[in-house]
Amino acid sequence: MNSIEQMISNFEEQSKYPAKAVAKVMKETGKKAVGCFPYYTPEEIVYAAGMLPIGLWGGQTEIKSADKYLQSFCCSIMRANVEMGMKGTYDLLSAVIIPTYCDTLKCICENWKTAVPNIYLIPMVYPQNIRIEAGVTYMMAEFKRVQAELEKVSGRAITEKDLLDSIEVYETYRKTMQEFVSIVNQYPNTLNARTRHFIIKAAYFSDKKSYTAKVAELIAELKKLPAEKFDGLKVVITGILAEPAALLDSFVENNIAFAADDLAQESRQFRTCIGSGKTAVEKLARRMSDQSCSLLYDDKKTRGQLLIDLVKENNADGVVVSMMKFCDPEEFDYPIFKKELEAAKIPMLYLEIEQQMDAAEQIRTRIQSFAEMMDKH
Amino acid sequence: MFLGIDIGSSSSKAVILDENLNLLGKAVINTGTGTLGPEKAIEIALSKAGLSREAIKYSIVTGYGRITYAKADKQITEISCHAKGVAFMEPNARTVIDIGGQDVKVIRLDDGGRVENFVMNDKCAAGTGRFLEVMARILDCDIEMLASLDAESTKEIIISNTCTVFAESEVISQLSSGAKRENVAKGAHHAVAKRVAGLAHRIGIRPEVVMTGGVALNKGVVSALSQEIGQPISVVKNPQIVGALGAALFAAEMFKK
Repeated sequence: MNSIEQMISNFEEQSKYPAKAVAKVMKETGKKAVGCFPYYTPEEIVYAAGMLPIGLWGGQTEIKSADKYLQSFCCSIMRANVEMGMKGTYDLLSAVIIPTYCDTLKCICENWKTAVPNIYLIPMVYPQNIRIEAGVTYMMAEFKRVQAELEKVSGRAITEKDLLDSIEVYETYRKTMQEFVSIVNQYPNTLNARTRHFIIKAAYFSDKKSYTAKVAELIAELKKLPAEKFDGLKVVITGILAEPAALLDSFVENNIAFAADDLAQESRQFRTCIGSGKTAVEKLARRMSDQSCSLLYDDKKTRGQLLIDLVKENNADGVVVSMMKFCDPEEFDYPIFKKELEAAKIPMLYLEIEQQMDAAEQIRTRIQSFAEMMDKH
Repeated sequence: MFLGIDIGSSSSKAVILDENLNLLGKAVINTGTGTLGPEKAIEIALSKAGLSREAIKYSIVTGYGRITYAKADKQITEISCHAKGVAFMEPNARTVIDIGGQDVKVIRLDDGGRVENFVMNDKCAAGTGRFLEVMARILDCDIEMLASLDAESTKEIIISNTCTVFAESEVISQLSSGAKRENVAKGAHHAVAKRVAGLAHRIGIRPEVVMTGGVALNKGVVSALSQEIGQPISVVKNPQIVGALGAALFAAEMFKK
């Protein structure tokens, strides 16, 4: 195994076994860990408090206990999160932050108190109108409240300098990740759909500073190599996330690379840089205000154009919609951007996914059919 | 000689073509993936063609069982194969509706007969052959008899549940309150048709519309579907073997390459 393969394999290991990875990094750093529910919890404040923000994005678990709180028509990530909370998988966390973007998340905030009483809950409410000044002011107040809660958990005050230092760590992380996703196009065989995902996902189970350094090292090693030849299809993938691994393997088998993504679990986390502002909290609020995602109110409906631009910039052949089953915000966006992509004559593959799909046969047929269809064009 | 094998969830189909794409043998066996069905279908098709396995120069497998079947030269999806088969038999077809044992596909073809777009049902039996099998069982008839029952109907009993399991209890309660079997059969066909029409409207329906798959043999479904989409639907000859035919056509093409 050469050094690039070894680095990728380490990232994959971290992503596949988060509990083990988190326990290890907690031991190495001596830090407490705080669970951050999707989608945009202010990780910077957790980090500034000297704790590790850990992304809680569901996982491969059998849903048994969570049925007590969440019906089968709730999103599979949230069902898995509640299940793992109840099962004790998250017991190493000192607290969880749960934002209330969608109806399911709002319910989980209440459920958590009785379902997982041993893990301290910090609820968070983002404003509906994130773009207007009143929204920014509200967000700043909410961030300060969360900051005070986190101070209680960590047992220490968070200074302005702590916050600014943390923002710097995160800004370096975001810029590094932006560079990482942009070089995928040059190395689509090494950074295939599967490896690309695992590398990005490992960030949720690491100390951001050391993770960023490792990704920067990987980028530097890759850049020493000539660009790879690739005769497959290049697509832009959009949605909440693209999992499980069997789904990604189907793309690899059919020689389809992700030229760019618009996934909440991936690029939507790091594509927006820090905002301007007099204080650290204002900078954080203004960044959220610039953010675009199906879960954030967007009166301009910019997603279609964003996807069209990503296709053009990356010379992609089409768009893959990874639709999280029962995700209302994503489903509301779909008819709007579908029309725009069709008008732009961009081929599209629609896949409805659940995170714990045991039988991926149908998905496999759809992906292969898409590849065959594009091959003839 | 070229062989196309279509291994579905409930049946296996085989087609043998000669160099000039003439149909030499075909077979449909009512057991699908994971059974001896595929081998039987191939044997029967070969014996009808008067050939032995050695005569096959290239073979392609398609259908739900295509990944696990190791004896073919290549595997291609049923979407591509149905499109290929239909374009060969009905060059003017622009929309293909294939209803099989456990899935439904609507495929739109471009003017050259190539796949332009497609849509498949979710992992759910609603709108598939499986739904009709369940209905036939409750109505105590063979699945082949559903269409003739429908032909005798005087009105449609609306089946409002999309879910096959719920629809089953709904139909049982309809029958126990005196609904006629014939009218229930018509209701079952319309339930399938509504579900499939919804799927078809997602990608847009362009004439001519052609139906393939085992369910196309049921005239009740074809007529209900035609009403639901508001367009005439033609059914190709031997609708069950279209996927296998497409596979055999691909085999011939790929061998020549």
